[in-house]
Amino acid sequence: MKVSRIALLIAAAAVLEFLVGRSPYRAFVPVDWFLLATATVARGGDFVRAVLTGAAAGTLEDALSQPLIGLNAFAKAAIGYALTIVSVRVVFGGALAVGAALFVASMANEAIVALLAALLAQSPVVIFTRDAVWRAAATGIAGGALESAWNFPWRDWWQRRRLRRLR
Amino acid sequence: MRPRSAHVEIAAANPRRGGVVLITVLIACVLILSAQARARGARGTVLQSWILSLSAPVAAAVGSVSHGASDALGSTLALFSAREENERLRRELDARERELFRLRAEALEGAEDRRLLGAGSALPGVLGSVPILLVERRAGSHSVLIGAGSADGVVPGSPLAVPAGLVGRVVTVGRGVSRAQLLLDASAAAGARIARTGELGVVRGDGHGALMLNNIATTSSVARGDLIESAGIDGIYPRGVPIGRVAAVSRGSKLFLEIRVAPSAEFSRLTDVLLLAPSAAAKESPEAGRSSAR
Repeated sequence: MKVSRIALLIAAAAVLEFLVGRSPYRAFVPVDWFLLATATVARGGDFVRAVLTGAAAGTLEDALSQPLIGLNAFAKAAIGYALTIVSVRVVFGGALAVGAALFVASMANEAIVALLAALLAQSPVVIFTRDAVWRAAATGIAGGALESAWNFPWRDWWQRRRLRRLR
Repeated sequence: MRPRSAHVEIAAANPRRGGVVLITVLIACVLILSAQARARGARGTVLQSWILSLSAPVAAAVGSVSHGASDALGSTLALFSAREENERLRRELDARERELFRLRAEALEGAEDRRLLGAGSALPGVLGSVPILLVERRAGSHSVLIGAGSADGVVPGSPLAVPAGLVGRVVTVGRGVSRAQLLLDASAAAGARIARTGELGVVRGDGHGALMLNNIATTSSVARGDLIESAGIDGIYPRGVPIGRVAAVSRGSKLFLEIRVAPSAEFSRLTDVLLLAPSAAAKESPEAGRSSAR
């Protein structure tokens, strides 16, 4: 994936964070857009870009929402690498598999951030909260839906629809 | 999404190079984190302040679009329940009018009492209302991004509240955007007092969306439903702002009770907050805020 596209992905993730964050309905869609951006790059199979995208997206996320810069950057860089391994080494596809992988990745992100915060900022370790599970589920569902939409044969569908109308 | 040529695919899927980059990035992250953990003040890091300042225009623009979309959605949903709402509001209005007559009569009688009570408590100075741009709840950390910064007079340590109760305090200030720590944060704490008994304690976030009141002796008569308000002893939060109500009391360690507090402010539906004037202690010493954060 081109660098410009990666930058666009991260920018889109930031815009979506703000778009959802300002809304009073934010609790219903707590999707981790930065993780989705990282996973999208990891899906391309390029380890270096996945790691760097994870680090960049995480840094931006940290600057906006965390007491220390580097917590999410660390987590998302590691997750970018892990997701690329899964993408390259495992026969991997389908909305369910992508959704499940993103659910696990989101929970792993939460655990890494919690452990780092506990080690470096002496924060209490809070990992498996209801919020975390709901965020992981929402991220998994959003990722699965995007995967389905990406693989859907839109052109065939549109042509079939047109033919049906002509008849 | 997939690389097009076979050559590119082989080069791209080279995990060794990726591993080297990963280790470098992770080490860099740890170094940056370690530097911040030691040197960070109540004002947050300079990098954080810069990124917040740079993101301010985007946040404001996207925030207004999102707000508009939410309003439109809210209006559409409201149409469905407009008739019932109208009836209910009429009934409420009648009740309020009766209440107003009663209160006017009582106002004259209680004026002197209220004057004395008011003189005893430092009323928080409300500087203005600010929008919430982003809410983050991750690994026990509960923070919000607010649409006001140093250009609007926000300083580190400025308390935030809603009419229902205390919300948190500003920790990092950018030019047009600031980051605030909510009371629910696992690292947040505030000096508190039980309004009925006057006992002092410390309210801490548990990281799961509730508050715990600590340092209340087992001899206390605190009961479910008691109002907990800020005590004004931490040098950050003003005195007398509601924090929550006691939801459960249990015997914890030998000396102190374990008191769970249900927050007064509805944290899940925050859209705007009131910015309060920072306390004199917070203004004088920027490090004052740290005592309540850790």
